[in-house]
This record gives sequence, structure tokens and C-alpha cells, in this order.
Amino acid sequence: MISSDKARLRQAWVAVGVMALALVLAVGAYDISSEAGYAGIGPNFLPWLVSAVLAACALAMLWEVRHGGFRGMLPPESDTPMYLPGFVWVSAGMLLNATLLTSIGFILSCTLCYVFAVRGLRNAGAPPEYRLRRWLVDALTGAAIAAPVYWIFTKLLAINLPGLTATGWL
Amino acid sequence: MDLWNQLMGGFATAGTPLNLMWAFIGCALGTAVGVLPGIGPAVAVAMLLPITSQVDMTASMIFFAGIYYGAMYGGSTTSILLNTPGETGSMVTAMEGNRMAKNGRAGAALATAAIGSFVAGTIATVLVTLFAPVMANFAVRLGPPEYFCLMLLAFTTVSSVLGQSTLRGLTALFMGLAAGLIGMDQITGQVRYTGGVTELMDGIEIVLVAVGLFAVAEALHAVLFEGKTVETQNPMSHVNMSKGEWRRSWPAWLRGTLLGFPFGTIPAGGTEIPTYLSYGLERKLSRHKGEFGTTGAIEGVAGPEAANNAAVTGTLVPLLTLGIPTSTTAAILLGAFQNYGIQPGPQLFETSSTLVWALIASLYIGNVMLLILNLPLVGLWVKLLKIPKPQLYAGILIFATVGVYGMRQSSFDLLLLYGIGVLGVVLRRFDIPTAPVIVGMILGPLAEAQLRNALSIGEGRWSIFLERPMSLSLLAVVAAVLVLPKVLAHWSRARTQGAASRP
Repeated sequence: MISSDKARLRQAWVAVGVMALALVLAVGAYDISSEAGYAGIGPNFLPWLVSAVLAACALAMLWEVRHGGFRGMLPPESDTPMYLPGFVWVSAGMLLNATLLTSIGFILSCTLCYVFAVRGLRNAGAPPEYRLRRWLVDALTGAAIAAPVYWIFTKLLAINLPGLTATGWL
Repeated sequence: MDLWNQLMGGFATAGTPLNLMWAFIGCALGTAVGVLPGIGPAVAVAMLLPITSQVDMTASMIFFAGIYYGAMYGGSTTSILLNTPGETGSMVTAMEGNRMAKNGRAGAALATAAIGSFVAGTIATVLVTLFAPVMANFAVRLGPPEYFCLMLLAFTTVSSVLGQSTLRGLTALFMGLAAGLIGMDQITGQVRYTGGVTELMDGIEIVLVAVGLFAVAEALHAVLFEGKTVETQNPMSHVNMSKGEWRRSWPAWLRGTLLGFPFGTIPAGGTEIPTYLSYGLERKLSRHKGEFGTTGAIEGVAGPEAANNAAVTGTLVPLLTLGIPTSTTAAILLGAFQNYGIQPGPQLFETSSTLVWALIASLYIGNVMLLILNLPLVGLWVKLLKIPKPQLYAGILIFATVGVYGMRQSSFDLLLLYGIGVLGVVLRRFDIPTAPVIVGMILGPLAEAQLRNALSIGEGRWSIFLERPMSLSLLAVVAAVLVLPKVLAHWSRARTQGAASRP
């Protein structure tokens, strides 16, 4: 299957990304000791090998891009254009969760993540609506999932998750 | 007789009320995970790995095995009713099963899938019982060169046989190997690629990568590309089969089992190949060829479902006897063993025989539980399909957080989780397979250690791999796996062109 110019450009960016990874690995491999011992190869052998193979893969990908695009590509499951606002909502939810988890506790942080994520996912499928009632229902649903998960993991399984208070309940 | 006694001992351990409870929860959770789109057994086991710090080893392995098994049963329900296979192994089931459901035969399709899974799972467990100890005895004789060659075989098959392109498979594999390099070198203790970040000293958790690549990527992909997708559910009908359907199903179940099990046991990775082979075989042998691709043929569901379950059970043989995972979930299960300080391998049957035999016995018990859960209670699972996608995916993110944070209590891991999720979306859009990433990451450090140990034995000589008959044979198989498909494809093309050019 021959890909369109736009698709090939995107594929070229993937190849460039793989090449960048190969270069990062090569730069890192310089700092790794080559002390070989009896084996004749040291801890820097695999890093160099992985870097070289990834670079070769990137070059082969670029060759494919130049000659019609990636081989044997399955058509994407969906042709609809990317819905970026929804992606921003979900990303914001996840990143806020990572940042706030230790300060506001698991339940509140995960509830926040849920509210943001569900907002983005819902907006992706239907016209956006921002009624207060909807926000409240989402927050309650998020808390209804996060709280039992927190209690099961901290109380039953004794796994350390951050709480807002020291009671172990919130 | 010894085997029988050990198996009975396994039943005694697995049959305690507490272990039965874990098996039941695992089977029920696994079925739910299989039914729900966007979350597979690998992610479910990965997210629940933190429980290994508190729950007894035997109980948690029985629990995880239940999830693994249950997901295979549940996956067929979604394939048949929604035509959205949650698991790669259920893709073929979706082809005929969905057509049967569209023609008002959803009940028969679900029944043949569930009973077929039970038959295949049980036969395959008998085969595991018989062959795993033999394999373990044989594996004791393998040294580092043979182990390295076995892992090389796993790398080759997972990257070149699966997926549409060997190049993209190799790229994925080496990305996984690159991720496996981060942290401390197993032999010298040298720190690699941490960039001064202390959280990376212990390497990247496999749980984090699996949850990121599968669960988070699924949620991000859904919000980016699937918002407007409208899914229609086929109507349910009474779950039973007519006499004729029984007659058509049972030979397909047996053939599927015999095809699936060997594929699970060899490091050829995945359930795709045996399920497709089984589908092709059933289509060829069926007396109702007209139903294939039109109204839906029951053999086309029965065979691949049996092959799928037999292959899944078969993956336990290399996992338990060699310590080599041949599927993503098996790779996560290996992580669970490692959390308990156990390295599966040939010694496992001696050092942890209670655990191993309890695990095998739990598979028999789990199969019966799953048959009950999936036949009379199928209506209950179907209700799960009514959960709206936004709430489902947002809920999955909460479980992803607890799974990843619970492992190391590190917020840095949550940032990394997001990054890996974005990477997962890119891989999916460009048809780069994710299974090789996981296999590369898990097996990479083990393979590196075996390679260096092998070369130490050979005092730096690479010819050590050619001097030992077993490693040489394995290298020949690796070469065949790489070359044969290309030669066969070329030969087939040449034949087709030759036939077309003939007057």
C-alpha cells in the first residue's frame, strides 16, 4: 500500500525519533565502562549494539518512507482527525494527578484526574457542555471509585498510598 | 505415580477456602477484564502486582492465573457481541462469531466459545501436568549458551513473526531492550542511562511500561481518535447449542487444542498464529463452507477459541520450566515471581514444588469456575458493556495510578507513565507492535547476563555457541525463523506470477 505524502511525512518523523533515540543511546554508551573480564564484552556492549541496530532500523524506515511509505501498514482504525482539546483534558488530569498526589492525597488527586479525563473523553464524542451538575456528578463518581480503591489498598493490603490526613481514610 | 501425588498435593493446597476464594476473584475479575474493552489481562495483572507485597505467594499466583485465564473466556463475549476483540487471540473469534450474532445465533456462538475454552483449557492443563516436569528435567541440562539462544529465538519470533513488518517489529524489540538497559547492570553493578535520576537506578518497572503502553495509550487513543465511533451491540439469544451445533463444535475444539498448545509452549509468542491456523483449517474441513464469511460458521468460533485457550495454557510451560515468557501476560507473571525473589526455571519444580503444583491444580479448578461464570451468568457480563466509554477509561486511569504508584511510591513514575502512554499512541498509529517492547524489556537484561556468562565459559570465544549441539540447533532455528517466511513468500509470489503468465 502506498501512503499519502502527509502520511509519509509523519512516518519520516517516526524514523527521525528512532534515530534520535539511537543517538542518545550512543552518547550514553560512551560513559559506560568497557571492562570486559573473561567474557570479552563489558557492560557497554549491549548499549552500543542496541544503539547501532536502532540507527539501522531508522535508516531502513527512512528508505521505506522514500519508496512509498512503511511496508504492510494496516489502515488506521479510525480516519477521524485528532481531537486535541480532549487530549489536553486527559493529559492535564494525568499530569495534575502526578504532581498533586503526595500533597492532596490519593482520593482527591485521583478524583481530579477522573473529572478531567471524563470531561475530555465525553467532549470527544458529544458537543461540550459545562453545567455545574455534570461536574458534581463526575466528581462524586470519581470519588466513589477512588475512595474504595484507596481503602482496599491501604487498609486491606497495607500498601502505602498518600492520604490528605493521617487517618488512612481520606 | 509421583506425578499423581504431586498433583493431588497441589489440589490440597489450591483447594483451601482462602485459595479457592482468590481463584474465584481472579476468574471473575479476569472475565470482567476480558469483557471490558481497553483493558486486557496483562494490564490487569500489572495493575494488581503491588498486592505481591502483602498476599501469600501461592494465593497471588493462583489469583493472577485466574485473571489470565478468565480474560480469555471474557474476551470472546466482546468479540461476538460487539465485534471489538479485546485480545489479539479473540480477533478470529470476532470474524465468525459476530456474523453468527448478527444472524440471531449469539447464544450458540457464546456457548461454543465458553465450552470450547473449557475443553481446550482442561486438555492443555493435562498436557502441562504431563510435560512441564519432563521439560524441567531436560532444562536442568541447559547452560548459559543454550539459554541465550532460547532468548534469541524468543526475540526473533516475537519481532519477525508477529505484526505486519519485521522492520517495525525489530524497532519495537530494540526499544524494549533500550528500556531494559536503564538502571544497574546485573553483573558489574555499573549504572547505565539514569541521567542522574535516582528513581531510575532500579530501572523502569515493567508494570509501568505495560500499563502505559496498554491502558493509558488506550485512553489517549480513545480521546484522540475514537470519540465519534458508534458501536452497535448484537442482540443476545439463549445460550445453548443444538445437537447439530454440538456435532460441528467438538472436533473443532479438539483440533484447535492440538494446534494451540504447541504454539504456546515454544517461544514463538502469542496466540495469533494458532488461532488463524485453526480458522484456516476449520474453513478447509467444514461441510458448511458457505456459512464462513456470510451467516457465520460455528466451527470458525469453536476452533480458534480452543486454540486461543490452549496456547495461553501452553505459555506456562516455558514460563515455569525455563523462565522464558512467550506472551505479554506471561512476562508480567514473571515479574510477579521475581517480586517474591523467585526466578522461574528448571529448579522451580524442586525448590517451589508446592507453589507450582498448586498453580497447576488451580488451573483445573479455574476452568470449572469459568465455565459456570461464563455460561449461566453471561447476561451479567454483557451488562458491563453498558458502561459508557468516558467513565470506563477515566476509571481505568485511577486503577493505573494505584498500580504504578503502589509499586515504588514515586510520583516520578506517574509522569513516566503519561510519557509512555503517549509513546503507546504513536506506536499504535504507526502499526509498531507493542508486545516486542515488553518482551525486549523483560528478557533483555536476562539475555545480556546469559550472553556474558556464556562468553565467560568460552573465555571470550563467540564460537562457544557453535560448539554445543543444543545452542547450534537453536541458532539454526533462529535462522530458519528469519529466512523461511521470506523464502516461502518469494516462492509463493513466483508461483502466482508463473501461473498468471502461462497462456
